Amino acid sequence: MELNAQIAVTVLMGVFLVAVATFLTRIENWRSYTPVGGGGSFIEESGYIDEEKPAGIIRWLTTVDHKDIGILYGLYGIIAFAVGGLMVTLMRFDLVTSSSLLGTSTYNALLTSHGITMLFLFGTPIIAAFANYLVPLIIGADDMAFPRINAIAFWLLPPAALLIWAGFFAKPLGLFGPAQTAWTMYTPLSLGAVGPSADAVGGAGVDLMLLGLHLSGVAATMGAINFIATIFTHRGEEVSWANLDIFSWTILTQSGLILFAFPLLGSALLMLLADRNFGTAFFLTDGGNILWQHLFWFFGHPEVYILVLPMMGIVSYVLPRFAGRKLFGFKFVVYSTLAIGVLSFGVWAHHMFATGIDPRVRASFMAVSMAIAIPSAVKTFNWITTLWNGRVRLTTPMLFCIGFISNFIIGGVTGVFLASIPIDLVLHDTYYVVGHFHYVVMGAIAFAGFAGIYYWFPLVTNRMYQASLGKAHFWLTMVGSNITFLAMILLGYGGMPRRYATYLPQFATLHQVATLGAFLLLIGQIIWLYNMVSSWFEGKRVESGDPWDLRQDNVRTVEWQWFEQKLDTQIATDGGDEEVATDGGKPADEAEAVAEERDDD
Amino acid sequence: MEAKIFDRETMLDLVVNFIPLGIILFFIALFVVVTPWGFNVRTSGVMLGLMIVPFVALAILTYLSAKAIAGDEKTKPVYAQGQAGLEEAEPEHHGDDDHTPDETTDASDAAADGNDGEEVDNDEGNDSDGGDADSETTDKQDSDDTADDAGEPAA
Repeated sequence: MELNAQIAVTVLMGVFLVAVATFLTRIENWRSYTPVGGGGSFIEESGYIDEEKPAGIIRWLTTVDHKDIGILYGLYGIIAFAVGGLMVTLMRFDLVTSSSLLGTSTYNALLTSHGITMLFLFGTPIIAAFANYLVPLIIGADDMAFPRINAIAFWLLPPAALLIWAGFFAKPLGLFGPAQTAWTMYTPLSLGAVGPSADAVGGAGVDLMLLGLHLSGVAATMGAINFIATIFTHRGEEVSWANLDIFSWTILTQSGLILFAFPLLGSALLMLLADRNFGTAFFLTDGGNILWQHLFWFFGHPEVYILVLPMMGIVSYVLPRFAGRKLFGFKFVVYSTLAIGVLSFGVWAHHMFATGIDPRVRASFMAVSMAIAIPSAVKTFNWITTLWNGRVRLTTPMLFCIGFISNFIIGGVTGVFLASIPIDLVLHDTYYVVGHFHYVVMGAIAFAGFAGIYYWFPLVTNRMYQASLGKAHFWLTMVGSNITFLAMILLGYGGMPRRYATYLPQFATLHQVATLGAFLLLIGQIIWLYNMVSSWFEGKRVESGDPWDLRQDNVRTVEWQWFEQKLDTQIATDGGDEEVATDGGKPADEAEAVAEERDDD
Repeated sequence: MEAKIFDRETMLDLVVNFIPLGIILFFIALFVVVTPWGFNVRTSGVMLGLMIVPFVALAILTYLSAKAIAGDEKTKPVYAQGQAGLEEAEPEHHGDDDHTPDETTDASDAAADGNDGEEVDNDEGNDSDGGDADSETTDKQDSDDTADDAGEPAA
């Protein structure tokens, strides 16, 4: 009887949902939205949106245009990069002396938030910025497959950031402190009052951080579904699988990784929250701590590739433009991207070699970790070979691409050593590991991000950045990165354990060297920020549709064609006091001469 | 059709994935033969499973992606990356229907040398510039500087 009632309620609910869905499809054509104002987009007849975008802040709060959302993601990522960067600057200054200047709990809180901010609030969103803006343009789509979901995915991120940083805001009010669990949130430390740490690691700050992380994971998953749907179903007629560009391939692979990895992180986070607050015992029983590590790293290792694959895509896309030739072995890069995508799920326990798991299990993770090094190395050889005999132009984006390769080689090779169990057991939990992954995340991922930002800066802003400042930014960042992270690798060889606010006196010199490098990095990033902001508002207007002179080598790509159309069809400038830029077809040197004349006046 | 898709050129492209597959296969064989920690159905099963699952998954994805990419390559026009839809872009080839036997041979020979058909075209294009190549390079370099320096502050 009870069962029948349940079935009846279920059927009733199903009918109700179908009725709601039918009603909604009758009143609104959900798939009809087409962006306006994007020159080159094909406006379908829908009768739904045929007005200009609203002005001012309302535009940014209500936009579902992929390009606007891309810019929002970019601004968000840059703010997070600044916050995470200032956090680590404080940490590095704390490490100038062997005793902690800030206090160990503040150091721990900064360490935790730096990692999470850089990975979840900077890394993933900055990639989404590039992908949102560029993928639809490159593959010939009108917009993303689900523009509204695209907007929702972005707007989940600001509250996620506030939750993750909540402890820093609440502490001055005397409420609770920020989380001090490190970004890995290992149990039993992160279990709080129910575990042995008795919430010395942040109390409600940890709970809010977990909720914020979950929210950012939901956002990433929604974005990933959108990219997969867009690339599969919204490609232009000419864009067959054989013609799909490498950046879109890496975004597709990354989205697949997000789809499998982030929901698992979400589940693990909710289990941890339940353990902390609702009396469950997922991670309190025997083996609970190892269970957390397995769940976390099953997400955590693919996360590394979620961050690095699209950045490899940017390098593979930008580098050939300034080498004057096509990417060497394009299909090698595509297949190796897919290989990395699959194998990244088979290596997670190489983060756990020192936990005492069965040696047979360890051995299999070592094997797959060795195998995954091959596709990454193949890409590196492809980039180098693309440069070979190319007509290399050392523009700022190209410098960052080459810096990426150089740093990625060091980061990658140090990683191959860590994949070997005996070496890992010696170097585990030392600064060697910190140096290794910072070579990858800062030296490679952030470098590729900068390459992309400089390369597409004219596309987005219609203006050119200041080249000399760009080069100063590159050299300071390159030298700063290598000083800091090489010092960390040497510290690791010396046995300096990671995550500590204090250290033995023999490590002082190398720590001070690392701080010097961090200081150079800080100066470089301040220059970059100044360059971006001032150039966005006051930089020289780009008057040619081909600002990088890509046509001469026949390496121009389709997004610059869109840009050229945008220039041609532009009817007013944003300042209102400058000439209308309509000379997209004018040769670069002629445009330059005109611009110089105007400057002289 | 399968044989047509998985021709010599496609197989050469796939070598990049055969190598990690080979490495995993090597370790599977090694750990079956050499068992310093003994053999236990559960743990050794997990050990082998952790290698077999990625191996199978990679093999399947490699097959499917090769079928999609090489299949489209054989039947539709192929452009350089990011150039599909570009007005001035010329397809590198139009699929097998438009291939003369000589072209196909050239492309696969080039691939055998570790190069792509794509690069061959490009290199040939550069070579055909002949004696003007040097002076042209200088000019191009100048205009590149202009392009990059276009953003120098007006002040």
